[in-house]
Amino acid sequence: MDMKRDYYEDVKLFTSGVGFFWFLVLMVFLAAYPFLVKNYYVYVANYIAINIIVVIGLNILVGYTGQISLGHAGFFAIGAYGTLILMTKLSFPFLLALPVSALIASVFGFLLGLPALRLEGPYLSIATLGFGLTITRVIGKIEFFGGRQGLHAPELVIGPWHLNTDRDFYYLLMVITVLMTVGARNLIKTRVGRAFVAIRDADIAAETMGVNLVFYKTLAFAVSAFYTGIAGGLFAFVLRFIEPELFSLFMSIMFLAMVVVGGLGSIMGSIAGACLLGWLDLQLRNILSLPYIGSWLESLSKSYFSLTGVSNIQFILFGLIMVLIMLFEPLGIFGIWIRTKKYWKTWPF
Amino acid sequence: MKKKLLSVLLAAAMVFGISFYAAAEEGVTDTEIHIGQWGPQTGPAAAWGSVARGTDAYFKMINDEGGINGRKLVLHMFDDGYNPAKTMAGVKELQEGKGMFAWVSGVGTATGLAVKEYLMEKKIPWVGPASGSQVWTNPPSKYLFADYPLYYIEAKALCNYGATKLGKKKFAMIYQNDDYGKNGLAGAQEELGKLGLKLVEAVPVEVTDTDLKPHVMKLKQSEADVVLLWVTPSHAVRTIGTGAAMQFAPQWMSTSTCSDFPFMNTISKGLWTNVIAASFGEVPDSPNPLMQKYKKAHEKYAAKEERWGVFFYAGFGFVEPAVEALKRCGKDVTRERFVKEMEGLKNFKGILGKVNFKPFNEKDPSSRQGTNEVFLVQCTETSGYKMLTDWTKYE
Repeated sequence: MDMKRDYYEDVKLFTSGVGFFWFLVLMVFLAAYPFLVKNYYVYVANYIAINIIVVIGLNILVGYTGQISLGHAGFFAIGAYGTLILMTKLSFPFLLALPVSALIASVFGFLLGLPALRLEGPYLSIATLGFGLTITRVIGKIEFFGGRQGLHAPELVIGPWHLNTDRDFYYLLMVITVLMTVGARNLIKTRVGRAFVAIRDADIAAETMGVNLVFYKTLAFAVSAFYTGIAGGLFAFVLRFIEPELFSLFMSIMFLAMVVVGGLGSIMGSIAGACLLGWLDLQLRNILSLPYIGSWLESLSKSYFSLTGVSNIQFILFGLIMVLIMLFEPLGIFGIWIRTKKYWKTWPF
Repeated sequence: MKKKLLSVLLAAAMVFGISFYAAAEEGVTDTEIHIGQWGPQTGPAAAWGSVARGTDAYFKMINDEGGINGRKLVLHMFDDGYNPAKTMAGVKELQEGKGMFAWVSGVGTATGLAVKEYLMEKKIPWVGPASGSQVWTNPPSKYLFADYPLYYIEAKALCNYGATKLGKKKFAMIYQNDDYGKNGLAGAQEELGKLGLKLVEAVPVEVTDTDLKPHVMKLKQSEADVVLLWVTPSHAVRTIGTGAAMQFAPQWMSTSTCSDFPFMNTISKGLWTNVIAASFGEVPDSPNPLMQKYKKAHEKYAAKEERWGVFFYAGFGFVEPAVEALKRCGKDVTRERFVKEMEGLKNFKGILGKVNFKPFNEKDPSSRQGTNEVFLVQCTETSGYKMLTDWTKYE
């Protein structure tokens, strides 16, 4: 349906005026959003934007390059701690501390990419899992990093602006998120991206065609870690407090779940997955205050699923939603989008 | 240009609107006072979630008695799964959506630390974080009142008793390598120093450690006759179990976090008998009239699976000072007045130790650390509580 006639048509950011129009609409909506909703929903949007950056980064690794990582909470922690430590102890400005700590994360990503040259599938996931767990243990042990007490974020000042409310921070975060998203799309559409996809599809074939496996596999890890590091540094300012236990195994698994539920190997899917699961994670507990169905769910949960008489239905629903999406749409939310698009393309015939 | 002006005006109007909104007393109507609380009902610390359920029963009891000066207490409790990002989300949602007058208790040090700055910046009172950490009052904040005795105090009480009453000389300690464990370590070192003794061994343990044999071996080699356990309940049980297997049986002592004897004795299969623990609240079968009253409230309002345990009625105890201050406010329930009444609490006695606050002084942690009293109990064979000391105050 979308025939490409030359290379530049393929790498173009907007394929049609319609796409550009919707992009503008989205930008206007994002700019107006903080004024349309309560401050709490700005916090939720910030939380989701952080997840979007991580999931795009993780998708570059998992979806496009076909490697797996259960250790992304580790890169996230490096980004968060790096940014705060550089700012408080070495008095770096925020806009410098953030990319520097993300670069530190990508150095770790590169190092973790080395064993990935020899490991695959479950073996690689165990290796990355070990990395994720080790990082938080090490950080927790060292007093310089605040130990188990955690760290508080300092005031955020960029030039003349003091960004200390959720709304102020939202704009900075959105600019970065959009830049990172466009950056990822560009990366995927170029030589590097094609090398990643070739490695995913068959690494031996890719190597025969002249793709340098050592270079591109470690690059995929480094890029992915860079994205996650940026997100971690920003997260430190959304929560304004970090401590080692926050960056748990569960966090890594959530990131991976967002990638898979959203759609492997798709930027749009990454965004959709991060939005859906991020939103559900924070908001699903409110299901109990829905009219009619809420009280019924509460009594159901209290009588069958609970030891102490406290409802925990939100977790069951959370799992159920994930299972259903994967069952009926193995391509994730992105698959649903593709099918809808195809359907409307020929509508009404 | 016009649009720009308009948006500036609009933004300005919103800012004014919000600040005006905050100036009117939030969370208080003619008939209700809205109070918020978080507590893990799921996740790694779900066992401590009973604190929040205790507060719920406490408020129901007060409301059935007619409320506070004609106003009912409405508790907005949410489950944060012990995840600070979720605590922050829930606190913001309730504070900005429904408007809480104040926050009470709230389980966990990390979860509380995540929202502390937010609440203090907004000048919202928060009474009784359910953790004995020093971070709440060192440095003190004007709107944060702590009434859980510090772990530091508990360590002092235990060491003092061991040395002066039991005549022990060789103290050792196994402590969790974090704020909680180190608080206890500091208290033990200081109190023993005063008595001319010192710890013969102090072994750090990580929350995630599963094999405690090397740790216990070190304790055994030190030939200690008292070992202080400053760890989680599961680690405490494992330490004692490993000790028993190695035929190492000193006098074990533990913090209030392991003072739920029926629970501890069940999970340790009886090994908890004779352990001495510090306690921040009355014992479950105490004849104290308040305790009897609360026990009736437990029977009436709590779910039938809910056990009458230390952490359930701690949900009453941590919140008592806040309720007392609200009563003293009379009809005039404002945050400033509430803080003034909290500061006016002198020797207030609920089911915790005596509570005292002072007018705010940013250099004096004791202006916001309400309790310094604990007493010691020993676990009997039937998992009962044997009182060893009366309420004792430590500085």
